[in-house]
Amino acid sequence: MSLRGHIKPVTHAVRPASFLIVRYGTRYCALPSEGVRGVLTREEAGGGPNVVWVGRAYPDVDLAGLLSTTVDDKSSDLRIVLFSHGRSHGAIRVDEVIGLAEVDRNECHPLPPHFRGDERSWVLGTASVGNKHVLILNPEWVLGELGEVVAMVSRRSIG
Amino acid sequence: MLRSARQQQQAVATRRTWNLVVFSIGGIALAAKAEEVGGVAPWGDSIPIPSRTPFVESLLIRDKDLLPVYDLASRLQANLRGDVPLCLVIRHPDGPLAIGVDGDIPTLLTLDAGKIGPSRRQDLDTLGSFETDGRQVEILALQRLGRR
Repeated sequence: MSLRGHIKPVTHAVRPASFLIVRYGTRYCALPSEGVRGVLTREEAGGGPNVVWVGRAYPDVDLAGLLSTTVDDKSSDLRIVLFSHGRSHGAIRVDEVIGLAEVDRNECHPLPPHFRGDERSWVLGTASVGNKHVLILNPEWVLGELGEVVAMVSRRSIG
Repeated sequence: MLRSARQQQQAVATRRTWNLVVFSIGGIALAAKAEEVGGVAPWGDSIPIPSRTPFVESLLIRDKDLLPVYDLASRLQANLRGDVPLCLVIRHPDGPLAIGVDGDIPTLLTLDAGKIGPSRRQDLDTLGSFETDGRQVEILALQRLGRR
């Protein structure tokens, strides 16, 4: 409170969440930007199973497979995202890197409660970026740190 | 757990008339209590979600909102018919839920409770069934979709 009796407004500064937005076909995904170590063209990445960049090896991570889609190898915008989380590292091929985006955390929504399975730990939620809806992916799942790699297909069972 | 025929008859006996929305999925005639249906709209784009929840594997884009989709057609092993499938928005206890239905516009029907009998299907949660125009129509327990 100031001498004049006015209460100074307290602002709760909540940092927006920062993501790298990538595209597979018509779907958009968000990776936490703090884990992004680089974005390479396919020529820069070379053709081996690992991408070695600045002295560190980034094994190929099939994020497209995790999402039950494929990478469009003919895409002229194809990029390889070098991504790290903790001690895990991966090179993720995507159809296109859209760019970095800062999203108000209030605009990030968890999956609806109708989703009851492990997917709640794979997909942290959704957000609107521009006029696109993006899936916010858990970096631990992306890099296989959750102890499993499961494709979404053929998992149905009559409940 | 599927409700027994006796439970269904008890539920039916508590109402005199039922207001129903009648629709079809892959040509299979189905109905739902009108108060459980929040609206009907053209189907739109959807976002696939890697999911282990049976039949809940995508989000339907409706302007700024995303609606979870229950893939009832897959559960019925049916393919949606019509050039433009429709989206039935359900008032579900967990929040709005979309199901895809055939492109024929759903109809409203007020039915005497006495015409509702036990369900003939064992693979769906139902509230009962009735016959109209020579077709057997199951009344779905929409609020129980995906809750088992």
